[in-house]
Amino acid sequence: MDSSLLDLFPPILGASLLQNPQVLFALRVLGVLLPAFLGIYLMLPRGGRDSHVVRLFGGALVTLSFVLLVTFPLSSSEGAVDGSQGTALWGLDNTLECYTFHALAFVSVACAVMMITSRNPVYSAIWFAMVLLSNSGLYLLQQAEFLAAATIIVYAGAIVVTFLFVIMLAQPNGAARYDRFSREGLLSAVTGLLLSGVLIAAIHLVSRTEGRAPVADAAARPAGSVVAIQAAANPTSLLPDGKNPNAAHVAGLGKSLFRDHVVSVEITGLLLLAAVVGAMLIAGHRIEESHVRK
Amino acid sequence: MSGNDAMLNNYLVVGALLFALGAVGFLTRRNLIVMFLCAELMLQGVSTTLVGFSGYHGTWGGQVTAIFSLALAAAEAGVALALFVVLFKRGYSLDVSIWQDLREEDQPPVEAETAAEDTPQPAEKIWPQLTPSGRLPGWKPASTPESAEPVAVASGVEGGPTHG
Repeated sequence: MDSSLLDLFPPILGASLLQNPQVLFALRVLGVLLPAFLGIYLMLPRGGRDSHVVRLFGGALVTLSFVLLVTFPLSSSEGAVDGSQGTALWGLDNTLECYTFHALAFVSVACAVMMITSRNPVYSAIWFAMVLLSNSGLYLLQQAEFLAAATIIVYAGAIVVTFLFVIMLAQPNGAARYDRFSREGLLSAVTGLLLSGVLIAAIHLVSRTEGRAPVADAAARPAGSVVAIQAAANPTSLLPDGKNPNAAHVAGLGKSLFRDHVVSVEITGLLLLAAVVGAMLIAGHRIEESHVRK
Repeated sequence: MSGNDAMLNNYLVVGALLFALGAVGFLTRRNLIVMFLCAELMLQGVSTTLVGFSGYHGTWGGQVTAIFSLALAAAEAGVALALFVVLFKRGYSLDVSIWQDLREEDQPPVEAETAAEDTPQPAEKIWPQLTPSGRLPGWKPASTPESAEPVAVASGVEGGPTHG
């Protein structure tokens, strides 16, 4: 058993549980995320008892939590485990990429919150479109141009179809009971708090304890790593070098897609065909009057 | 910790947050369409994670997997919307709670509604009515005129303007 793994999972019954820096770190993450999910609970539809003031307060709590998450040094006061500064933890250096990332990430998460808390399904679809747009911006920051375009194109169609369904089937302005009441809002918010807190704490703890080397740089790539072996085996799987502005991005993606993953592409085509046939089979036939339940 | 590493962490955190928010929405909303959108939001979180790993490792693998998840989301959307059409034809509602008897028979029902029935349903339509101006054909006079009066009014309301 690796010793770093033992550090990650300390014995529960140990008296030094609260002195463990990793447990403290996870507790801090949970504390930073607590206002966000409290605010989400306040913003969820709860019948006739919700007001605009409560919703605004919930939104303020979510924003506060996001600002805390970005600016708060989550490492302990004695310094982080690996000795790095607290602010460097979130990559807050003075580059344009960093500011763009944080703006897009804030828009994405805030629109996601608005999406899951709005009463009107039309507004939910619009907020989801905003999430998609900001996510496409995030993809562009990571050299995923084709994926950004494909996300907008594919999901624009999906959003339009969702609009169509909302107009056909749903009731506007939260007139339906099932839009005005949420089910087990407090328990759901606690679930989200624990899920996101544990995920975020695990992400940071693993990156600290492992001490990952930057593998995107070809020169600094460790010799025995998976990426190095993969690069030696099939060079089409590598992103073009960022220093070369003339490198073909989307052509490289096409090469990787149709050389390294050609069987997966075929299987995905089969899956789409099966979905189309299944959708026609499910929705295509009439419902007898005796099967309609009131 | 290098800047590249921190940027990977940021992408993973955004992906985790989107996933958790989608999970919260999926657990707590009752509209079928909104639940479907929340599932798509969870897929978006996973795609963000994959793209972050792709940029970190410098390979196309993450982006290719994200493209496959995009195709998967499209297939899921087709089947899910077809299911919504069928369920709406059968129940005339997008509420998931009316389908809870699809579970095993000995399960207790989920009380999704809270006790507050405070918000009014849309009021029933009030159609214009004509004042009944005579008695119905075939109406027999009751024994006493006091009891005959409400009966005549009630039958006039029920019959509507047909005898007016």
